[in-house]
Amino acid sequence: MSGNGRDGEVVVIGIGLAGLVAGLRLAEAGRSVRLLAKGVGSTHLSGGTVDVLGYAPARVLCPAGALPEFVAAHPDHPYARIGTEVVGAAIEWLKGRMDNPRYVGDLSRNFLLPTALGVAKPSAVAPQTMAGGDVTRGGGFAIVGLPGLKDFYPGMVAGNLASAVGVAGEVIEARPVEVDVALDGRADVGPLAYAGRLDDPAFRAQLAARLKGRLGEDEVVGMPAVLGLADAEQVWEELEARIGRPVFEIPTLPPSVPGIRLYRSLLGALRRAGVRVAIGGEVVGAEIDGTRVTGVYTDAANGARFHPAAGVVLASGGWAAGGLEMDSHWGLREPILGLPVTAVPEGVPRFRPGYFDHHPLARTGVAVDGSLRPVDGDGRVVFTNVRVAGATLAGAEPWKEKSGDGLSLSTGYHAAMSLLAEEG
Amino acid sequence: MQTVETEVLVVGGGATGVGVARDAAMRGFATVLVERKDLAEGTTGRYHGLLHSGGRYAVKDPRAARECAAENVILRRVAADCIEDTGGLFVATPWDDPDFGDRFLAGCAATGVPVEEMEVAEALKREPAVNPGITRAFLVADASMDSWKLVWACARSAEQHGASILTYRQVTDVLRAGDEVAGVVVVDSRTGEQTTIHARMTVNATGAWAGKLAGLAGCRPVDVIPGKGIMIAMNHRIVNTVVNRCTMPSDGDIIVPIRTVSVVGTTDSPVIDPDQLEVTQAEVDHMLDEGEKLVPGFRQARALRVWAGARPLFGDRSPGDDDTRDITRAHALIDHAERDGITGFVTITGGKATTFRLMAEETVDLVARTLDPGNERPCRTAVELLPDSQSEAYYSVGSRLAQREAHLQDDQLVCECELVSRRDLEETLARRPTANIDDVRRALRLGMGPCQGGFCTYRATGILHRQERLDQSTANGALLDFLQERWKGVHPILYGDQLRQARLDDWLYQGLMDVEHLPDPAHP
Repeated sequence: MSGNGRDGEVVVIGIGLAGLVAGLRLAEAGRSVRLLAKGVGSTHLSGGTVDVLGYAPARVLCPAGALPEFVAAHPDHPYARIGTEVVGAAIEWLKGRMDNPRYVGDLSRNFLLPTALGVAKPSAVAPQTMAGGDVTRGGGFAIVGLPGLKDFYPGMVAGNLASAVGVAGEVIEARPVEVDVALDGRADVGPLAYAGRLDDPAFRAQLAARLKGRLGEDEVVGMPAVLGLADAEQVWEELEARIGRPVFEIPTLPPSVPGIRLYRSLLGALRRAGVRVAIGGEVVGAEIDGTRVTGVYTDAANGARFHPAAGVVLASGGWAAGGLEMDSHWGLREPILGLPVTAVPEGVPRFRPGYFDHHPLARTGVAVDGSLRPVDGDGRVVFTNVRVAGATLAGAEPWKEKSGDGLSLSTGYHAAMSLLAEEG
Repeated sequence: MQTVETEVLVVGGGATGVGVARDAAMRGFATVLVERKDLAEGTTGRYHGLLHSGGRYAVKDPRAARECAAENVILRRVAADCIEDTGGLFVATPWDDPDFGDRFLAGCAATGVPVEEMEVAEALKREPAVNPGITRAFLVADASMDSWKLVWACARSAEQHGASILTYRQVTDVLRAGDEVAGVVVVDSRTGEQTTIHARMTVNATGAWAGKLAGLAGCRPVDVIPGKGIMIAMNHRIVNTVVNRCTMPSDGDIIVPIRTVSVVGTTDSPVIDPDQLEVTQAEVDHMLDEGEKLVPGFRQARALRVWAGARPLFGDRSPGDDDTRDITRAHALIDHAERDGITGFVTITGGKATTFRLMAEETVDLVARTLDPGNERPCRTAVELLPDSQSEAYYSVGSRLAQREAHLQDDQLVCECELVSRRDLEETLARRPTANIDDVRRALRLGMGPCQGGFCTYRATGILHRQERLDQSTANGALLDFLQERWKGVHPILYGDQLRQARLDDWLYQGLMDVEHLPDPAHP
């Protein structure tokens, strides 16, 4: 068929977590999928965990328990639109696809994992290499600093961690341990460069040797998240074995090694599933027939190109990724399909003066129905064969809720399921 | 309580205050300067960065024009390291009367402001982004001047001549002995410690705040109207020459290329309190619209930051005098002995950054006449070069890159946008220990580039925490304060790519690091 119906290609726009998940889920169900992205996605900024709901606004220890009340209080939230049962299904699906490192955890409880500031952040699911940092039950932690790494300060991590307590008031002890490893005289080494070095067994052995004598008997060892890109499980297991202590990773400033691992795992799975991935093909326009998008145009070095589409998953990101835009006259728009964007109410400022205030612009985005089809201000579906997923969606405040990964995962998953259900 | 004795006490650490302190110290007076916050924290650090040629005032304010023209020549020599020799253009846009150019030329001639008319085509060749519809163009000696570098250099020179510079000291009381001002009481806003400073002469160099200090001293009201001006920094050098509208001074009539950015300014509206300068949406829109007239496509550029400064506009009126004259941009030196019968106290206000040196010279002339009559102590600030300007070489926009390239391997880059290295940061901290990242920003431009602190705020906090051995709560406070400080200047101009950037920064600090749950009870 010519771009319509069961056999036509589904075009997924965006290669962040939502786009990767939607594309893979569709391909696994046998659909022909083309994924178009203007560059790499926001996985490279993510800490690699799947944060589902961390604060509502009090700290959430059990997401499964908190979600029903949360969606009842936020009926416009994407979780409310898709139904909370989708979140658990999407998590189990993802865990089945992540093998290096494997992912652990579920909605029954949040891990409390130290950030690069030493705050214990609630995450439902995490790579195995990170989960050991859970401070829920207190304990003793040695936080390792590496020379030349400017995106991680072990003294601050330990300082803040030491003033936290476990959920039942258990004591947390933490101290920084700075190790010296040979860097060939380089004073400025990023997380990716370190990850590359740790892929080398000789460098791992050197690091382990310098760490070994400096750890307390009961200490759990927190490392900046640089434990290899190619084979993180191996690096992690070997380091634990060599120093004889449990080891966990703490995400650094981007580029994020755990985020890149997540991206590479899913991208590999996509390619194996036959998805055609075009990175560098920015979508610049669409062909529309009534309430259907029949194809999109990309603009790349080799010129504009038309891609017929039976269905479209729009996972182009939010304000940070360019999937939503505001011009200098304060007009809001979704630039690819021109979808309606929810407005900040008249007379309300877009932002408030306090950095930590709730900013009215934060919850704006593309409104959708329960199938993630975009709707206009009157609730009418704009395009029947389009699904919107991830940070483009209205109704959430992901960085405050600590829900961004969970939203992208579950809406990406639901977008695929919804397209499959309609056309299957 | 500590007690300090001095001859000259300067209140106010802007360009004028440090200029007075340096001049007084160079003339051999024991000198102390107190500033309630950090140096250049007030108006000096919040202007667009123009070293006036005098052209702006050639028609409207001849005295100001004359002073600017003279000081421009002097500062180019003694403060070369603070100045980039951009040159300046006055252009008649389609919204401006081309005939004003004749009045402009006549004004320049009458006030000694060097100027030459250029072919429009030549001006557009020099600055291709400027509105191609301009009908006339004039070249003047405008330049951009880094007011932070200027103030630090003056302060360092003053210290080399024996002056004490005391920052974060708020004046809480002015000491009176009969009709004489005998000094002040200050409180250290960081430690709470009080100090009494006895001085033979107290100089009120508090600019837009001068009325408040004069009030504390018990003088007849000093009528300083704070004139709010807003400025917006755009993320790159849209122009490399200062570009002015060739018209009477008005809102949004100038774009100044300074360091890595271009600043459009400014507005002028009287406010009650110079500490309450709110930026409105209408003002932002107005600046962007005016910028668009000078450079079509201006709105497509990325706005990095907006801020407001308070000009000190002085309009002294005698009792019973109801006239409000057109307030000059020239400065005012008030000898309170003559005006109010109060000795030991002078006020210097009005003026502008370009004329700070002249203001200091006139002030110290008066101080010297009063304290040491008959003994000639000549001013040397017009001839003695400032520290860092000894080579008499102008600053150039690529200089940091050259420094950086010399240390690519052996030094860390803490702020990629402004090329601030770890060594720069650690040396600055060693020289002026602080727990305040905003102090570091003013010294190094840390956090002032396109990402507005997205990456360097975290790094600077980590380095500060380690080097200054801050306790964790103080370090957390420094981080939170700087995030709030950055937010203040970005939220009114968030659109386009800068909105993207701000959301990215939110992801880093809130999404990735959970900064809002730092264990610090003093903050949210």
